[in-house]
Amino acid sequence: MSPAYLLRRLLAVILVLWIVTIAVFAITMVLPGNAAIMILGEYATPDQVAALEERLGLNRPAAVQYFEWLFNLLQGDLGMSLRLSLPVSEVVGSAFANSAMLAATALVTVTVVAVPLGIFAALKRGTKTDLGISFLAYTGTAMPEFVTATLLLVIFAAPGNPLLPAGGFIPPGESIAGFFHHVILPAGALSFILTAHIARQVRSEMSDVLSSDYIRAARLKGMRERRVVRGHALPNSLAPAVAVISLDIGYLLGGIIVVEEIFAWPGLGRLLILALENRDLPVIQVITLLLAMVYALTNLISDLVIAALDPRVRYE
Amino acid sequence: MPARDGIAAQCSVLDIRDYTLDYETPHGVPVQALRNVSLSIRPGRTMGLVGESGSGKTSLAWAIMRYLPANAAERSGRIELLGEDLRTKSDEEVQNLRGRRISMVFQDPGTSLNPVLRLGEQIAEALTRHRGFSAKEAREESEAWLARTGISRPADMMNRYPHEASGGEKQRVVIATAFACNPEVIIFDEPTTALDIITARQILDLFDDLHDETGVTALYISHDLGLVSRVAQDIAMIDRGEIVEQGACEEVFGRPRHEYTRGLLAAVPHPDRRIVDAAPAAAGNLLDLKGVNVSYGERKSILGFLEPKREVVRGARDVSFGVKPGEILGIVGESGSGKSTLAKVLAGLQEFEGTVEFDSRTYSRRRDIDREYRRTVQIVFQHPDASLNPRQTIGKILSRPLKLYNQLSRSEIARRIRELLRSVLLPEEYSARFPHELSGGEKQRVAIARAFAAEPQLVICDEITSSLDVSVQAAVARLLVELQQQTGTACLFITHDLNLVRQLAHRIAVMQNGDLVDLFETSQARAEERHSYTRQLLDAVPVLLDSGRQGRDS
Repeated sequence: MSPAYLLRRLLAVILVLWIVTIAVFAITMVLPGNAAIMILGEYATPDQVAALEERLGLNRPAAVQYFEWLFNLLQGDLGMSLRLSLPVSEVVGSAFANSAMLAATALVTVTVVAVPLGIFAALKRGTKTDLGISFLAYTGTAMPEFVTATLLLVIFAAPGNPLLPAGGFIPPGESIAGFFHHVILPAGALSFILTAHIARQVRSEMSDVLSSDYIRAARLKGMRERRVVRGHALPNSLAPAVAVISLDIGYLLGGIIVVEEIFAWPGLGRLLILALENRDLPVIQVITLLLAMVYALTNLISDLVIAALDPRVRYE
Repeated sequence: MPARDGIAAQCSVLDIRDYTLDYETPHGVPVQALRNVSLSIRPGRTMGLVGESGSGKTSLAWAIMRYLPANAAERSGRIELLGEDLRTKSDEEVQNLRGRRISMVFQDPGTSLNPVLRLGEQIAEALTRHRGFSAKEAREESEAWLARTGISRPADMMNRYPHEASGGEKQRVVIATAFACNPEVIIFDEPTTALDIITARQILDLFDDLHDETGVTALYISHDLGLVSRVAQDIAMIDRGEIVEQGACEEVFGRPRHEYTRGLLAAVPHPDRRIVDAAPAAAGNLLDLKGVNVSYGERKSILGFLEPKREVVRGARDVSFGVKPGEILGIVGESGSGKSTLAKVLAGLQEFEGTVEFDSRTYSRRRDIDREYRRTVQIVFQHPDASLNPRQTIGKILSRPLKLYNQLSRSEIARRIRELLRSVLLPEEYSARFPHELSGGEKQRVAIARAFAAEPQLVICDEITSSLDVSVQAAVARLLVELQQQTGTACLFITHDLNLVRQLAHRIAVMQNGDLVDLFETSQARAEERHSYTRQLLDAVPVLLDSGRQGRDS
């Protein structure tokens, strides 16, 4: 892969993010009620609102406000939260870290479980084992997070003698054991549907590879089964698996919002819901941008990983 | 090779006796794949196994390699390698045997090499597996074998991935792998079918050289009788799972006893057996191409800066030629030569520069091409499976051009459909059938009938016979020529089959890398003034002589 390619891809990411800033800003402009009303509350007089609008510059043309906002953003000034009277960077920063920990735990779980499961099913194609795994995977993809989360709560965190806490968060800096104790249920709820989806994709990818001409050629060269699977088939099905996982990250970002709310996990999702309820515009804008950025960058990273796994993929 | 030296010459290396194979089906009635097959190959000989698609020739190869699907049921018989019955071997024994004592060269080197492994590794792994070589020894031996297969820089080739090598180079790697462990038998499964004409010839020459050098015993599977007559000393003809005739090549092809062999031999295109009359005399041209250029890969979108710079490929470079009314003009060339690009330009499917003059009208870009042009110029595509809508009946398919271009009443359309079906020798009842109920040859007949339905002045045939079996191909070619002569329609016959095109074209145009390099009367194919590339192409193609020997035509 050439530096020119990387540069072009980064340019594309910046272009996407710029379009997202316009969309985010436009949406907050059409929402009823502006920042002045938010700050003053619903009993404010029109005069008070007008005075504050004047002071905040809310009566200037939209384009001017947009570019001022964008300019501040680029300088790292994310503004103040209207609700919490704290800098947005501070509020969002710690929530982002908490969400990242939850997402990473879920993603690692998904990858470690789904990929081997898919490969195993493909190797046992047509047998009862394969049928069983496929059945579970179908069931899994039909269960959204809120259903899984509720089930997990009922089973593992039922009042009386709960095996695991029903919600909350302990920073890993404070207690690693405590962190894991709390992360199991939310990460489990997030992982379930993704594991099912990715296992299905990996299975179908791997069985395509296993029935390909070059696998037949390897077998007819007298290669042992272990070498055929690990040396010939596996490298060919990893790159498509990475592509599927990176597509699913978009889904994971959506799921995290639901799951954090259910398990009271102090992350971006919870913060976003709080900000939406309170029309905390600066926070909403920054979180939306941040999610778009994470999605764009993980896609870029997955493309780079695919290029490393498959010699045919050459970016120039 | 000690094992081989000990064998008396009259003894067989590979001996198959009364072998019968079925495939079980879910509904209980097994499909018969092979019926009492007996076949034996003597040491150092090449046996050509010839049959059409579905004849069971590939099933036999899988049976020998012990690579049968789970639903295969072996009913009877023996498959012996130097007296050992392979059917009694355990999985472990079979694994040790494959690649070491029997190996295989596959049809398409593009798919039979692993795309993510370096070519060197794919040879070397066979050597470490079967000959107990260290990694270093295996590399050296692999490199030596690559050199023997005529790869000019073997060390460099070792480090390449399959997509970094040409089709011919890849097939050399596959061949090197097959020979690397000095096997007693090598099965060649149509090893040149997926390659271009000249490359195929080079691979055949390589086969001859290696065969002479190593004295390996070979089973050469092919549907191409001309080619088999060149490589094999013995021939076995297989039809619907049965060996119908077996013997020395001159015997089988020179004095065929079975009617299947006779039929196939008659169907093999031969340049001297012309199937058309002379072209009608005509003053002017029906179609004139003047300086037609096509380039692929030019950047068009406004977000072009986000795309990598692509190499601009010339599909056609300054191509000019004319077609007379009622003439069949053959266009030949290897893949990527631009022959299909021309077909797309003439069918109005491809942007171009230059001018196309047709029936005294001039078209200088794709958008000029109007309905009248589309009616008078029709195209038949290579794959009838892809060009016939699977959800429409044959009658519906044939009615489309009639409704689109002619104002006909419902009863007239029905009458025309019956007429069209008769003209391509299909029963009228086929009108109610769907494409999947027809055979490949029948489907191509429907595609031809559709092209002629609009009563065109020019029909473009883009490789219309290349997906068909030899006997079907001959029938389709004859049918096309008959229709063409009855209707007086001109025809552009695009193909890579030089023997076939010399049977039916009045003139032949040769394309190479987007250039029209040669254009000549078919009778002048062997004339002195031919372009060197034309000569190379003609020399590369084996021609089956009536005596059964392979030879060059003159």
